[in-house]
Amino acid sequence: MSTLQTRPEPQTRPPSGAPDRRRVRRRAVRTNWTIGLLALPAVVFFLVFSYLPMSGLVVAFKEFDVNLGIFGSPWNGLENFTYFLESGDAARILFNTLFLNILFLGATLAAGMVLAIMLNEIRSTFFKRVSQSVVFFPYFVSPVVISIILQVLLAGASGGGGAVNDALGGLGFPAVDWYTEPGPWPWILTVVKIWQLGGYLSVIFLAAITGIPEEVYEAGTIDGASRAQMAWRITLPLLKPTAAVLLVLGVGRIFYGDFGTIYAIVGDNGTLFDSTDVIDTYVFRALRQLGDFGTTAAIGLFQSVVGFVLVVIAVLIQRKYSKETSVL
Amino acid sequence: MSHHLMSRRRLLATGGGLSLAALLAACSDDSPKSQATGGAQSAGALALSLLLPGDVPAGWDAVLAEVNKKLQADLGFTIKPQFIPWTSYGQQALLKFTAGEKFDTALQARWLNMTQLAASGSIVELSSLLSSGKYPNLTATIDPKIIELNRWSGKLYGLPQINSVARFHHFSIRQDLADKLGMSDITDFAGLEKFWYDVKQKNKDIIPIGVSSRMPKLLVAWNPVGWLNPYMWDNPTMSIASFTGDSLNFVLAADGKQTGSSNPIPWWEAPGMVDALRKIRKYYQDGLINKNALTLDSKALDSQFKAGRVATGWAMTDGLSSTGLPELTKNVPGAMIANVMPLKGGESAKPYQTFQSDNFVVLNAKGESNEKAMQLQDWVSIKENHDLLNYGLPGKDWNPVGDDKYEQLSTYAFPGFALSWRAKLERRVKGMTESEAKWFDWAQDIDNFTVDPYAGFVPDPEPIKRENTQVTAAMTQFANPLFIGAVDVDQGLDKLKKALERAGLAKVQAEMAKQADAYLKGQ
Repeated sequence: MSTLQTRPEPQTRPPSGAPDRRRVRRRAVRTNWTIGLLALPAVVFFLVFSYLPMSGLVVAFKEFDVNLGIFGSPWNGLENFTYFLESGDAARILFNTLFLNILFLGATLAAGMVLAIMLNEIRSTFFKRVSQSVVFFPYFVSPVVISIILQVLLAGASGGGGAVNDALGGLGFPAVDWYTEPGPWPWILTVVKIWQLGGYLSVIFLAAITGIPEEVYEAGTIDGASRAQMAWRITLPLLKPTAAVLLVLGVGRIFYGDFGTIYAIVGDNGTLFDSTDVIDTYVFRALRQLGDFGTTAAIGLFQSVVGFVLVVIAVLIQRKYSKETSVL
Repeated sequence: MSHHLMSRRRLLATGGGLSLAALLAACSDDSPKSQATGGAQSAGALALSLLLPGDVPAGWDAVLAEVNKKLQADLGFTIKPQFIPWTSYGQQALLKFTAGEKFDTALQARWLNMTQLAASGSIVELSSLLSSGKYPNLTATIDPKIIELNRWSGKLYGLPQINSVARFHHFSIRQDLADKLGMSDITDFAGLEKFWYDVKQKNKDIIPIGVSSRMPKLLVAWNPVGWLNPYMWDNPTMSIASFTGDSLNFVLAADGKQTGSSNPIPWWEAPGMVDALRKIRKYYQDGLINKNALTLDSKALDSQFKAGRVATGWAMTDGLSSTGLPELTKNVPGAMIANVMPLKGGESAKPYQTFQSDNFVVLNAKGESNEKAMQLQDWVSIKENHDLLNYGLPGKDWNPVGDDKYEQLSTYAFPGFALSWRAKLERRVKGMTESEAKWFDWAQDIDNFTVDPYAGFVPDPEPIKRENTQVTAAMTQFANPLFIGAVDVDQGLDKLKKALERAGLAKVQAEMAKQADAYLKGQ
């Protein structure tokens, strides 16, 4: 997570012009090169592990042949991109990726906020600590384990029945073949995401609540506000900056399907692709089943570029509305 | 002040320098570089890596240690096999090839990606290696006739691993349940169907037909017959071809040899196919097929069968169904299995057979040493070594019974078909059921079959690589759910056809016709 910085106060200018400014800059360089040195390992790290591998992106414009290597393979222009866009899957996958991620983002942020306010209202410190740990725990559960829990709930251990269907039967409803019905899956996945991330986000919000000065609440008490009114009128508005930052970070990843969770749950079950196939799972499948590096690199590049543009737009919008909490 | 600054600088510089050094050290690769093939290998340094399907066999470490000890003494190298779960074997193996990994041998087959790998030059053409005279044990144990049958356009891309002349999948059923239901001898598909419905009715906790995620494509339109396709069991004389293992299957004209025209049609246009889909849909809705068939790992299904929770499993004429019996009877006392081959006319049905091996050991063109990989194949063609790898440690995992049978002492199960099946060396498990022995024997005789008119036809996917890729993706998404009965037949078929048309079905079909016609001309 990037740290939040309040914008520095504009420096008072030195009275005279250029030479002074140069001196200032020189001094800044002189005194700050050590700090630069401290940043060097990180810079090298990103160069080696993030920027250098980008040269491999040329594969997206090539007819990749392993025998010729990345740079020896013949160029094929935009064919890999047209393949994806003409496959008839592009629209569906883009829609699913955006739709699911917007669902996840909205639901988890809301759940995190509500949980944080609830936890904040708990009087007993011991009980508060325990509850925090309990809601935080799902964050550490592996997607594979989640997929098995879901299977037992929705389809039973041997592919028939399941706890949910038993419950439905008890209420007089017919059983549903969850694993061949694409319709309910966006909502099932959203519930899974809330379960996974709600507690994690609530801890971030709790930290923000802790930062709210006590005087504000005291003022509220003097004005005769009830606990509910204080949560609604004081806590919630003061959590907005934190929520905004989390939202921007989320929007930046909006083009990245949650591969781990979705793939572990859906796998190669074609009947659910209609509503759950996102860019990442599609890319993974294309690569695994077809061994086609060019196309997958093209889709990956497309995803990165669109993601980058979205982050920039999100940050600009955020700056416009709330300058003091902007991440840039 | 300056002194203070100096010290801070020094501190920062030292800190930065140290972490940079640590980072660079972490990035540097100081592993010993493997030497190029043919160069002087440092003694004992080479370990051939092999790709094998399935899970690590029980007691594998002890067997591997023994194998490596002998290998080191005999040939001066060792092996380090990687076991890849069946669920992802096909895809992972393909990826390892296309990514240029340096393993030496792998299991490949037409139902995997062998045609694609042969076309792209990823696997080694073996003719010259095999005829070099350096591998006498190998050539002595693989029948030259089988080698000839498995050449594609005269080229040999893999060593066929067989333990019977013909391969014919069929059913392994719980005979004890059938006996209880008063169906002691099931011989046809109608009998099987009655058995499934009776099981469903009488045993709520048992899945009548177990289907794993590897099986959807085998159920309707498959060579030699679709597993759950009654029409094909009655008429086992359809020629079926596809460009790659998971792509679309075409049915080729039966009279192609006379007319010279192969006229390939997509499988659903052939007789009996759509009826089979409707039947399977009904099975699925009636709860005969496990609902999680699209995601169930084959290993998990196998363990459910051995735990007594599945009444029918997939079987092959390779004598391996009975090897699961000890575990099954341990879990379900009194359990018994029988192999059912519901061919119309039984043993005299004379179904089509391509005599193409189902499994090949292929050599990776980028492997460490093709010579040594062949030496390994030669080494496992010696009876003692073959037995060690296939059956485990004598006295611990198995005991010999005469020269051609063995008794299992443990649950060690090695995927021999991926490395070391030699028809002349295979031992039969003691206690093979009568029904399995019957069909295993039947599959050993070439005269029990009719040679498929397209027996040696292996399509080359290269000219329509891109379309085939899309067709395969459409098959995964729309055909597999259809094959297991999870979606409505008419709607599902409609979606599949539309997706295939978008993917370039017409072009793929035309290419199939072109290549199959050329094959007929060459006959």
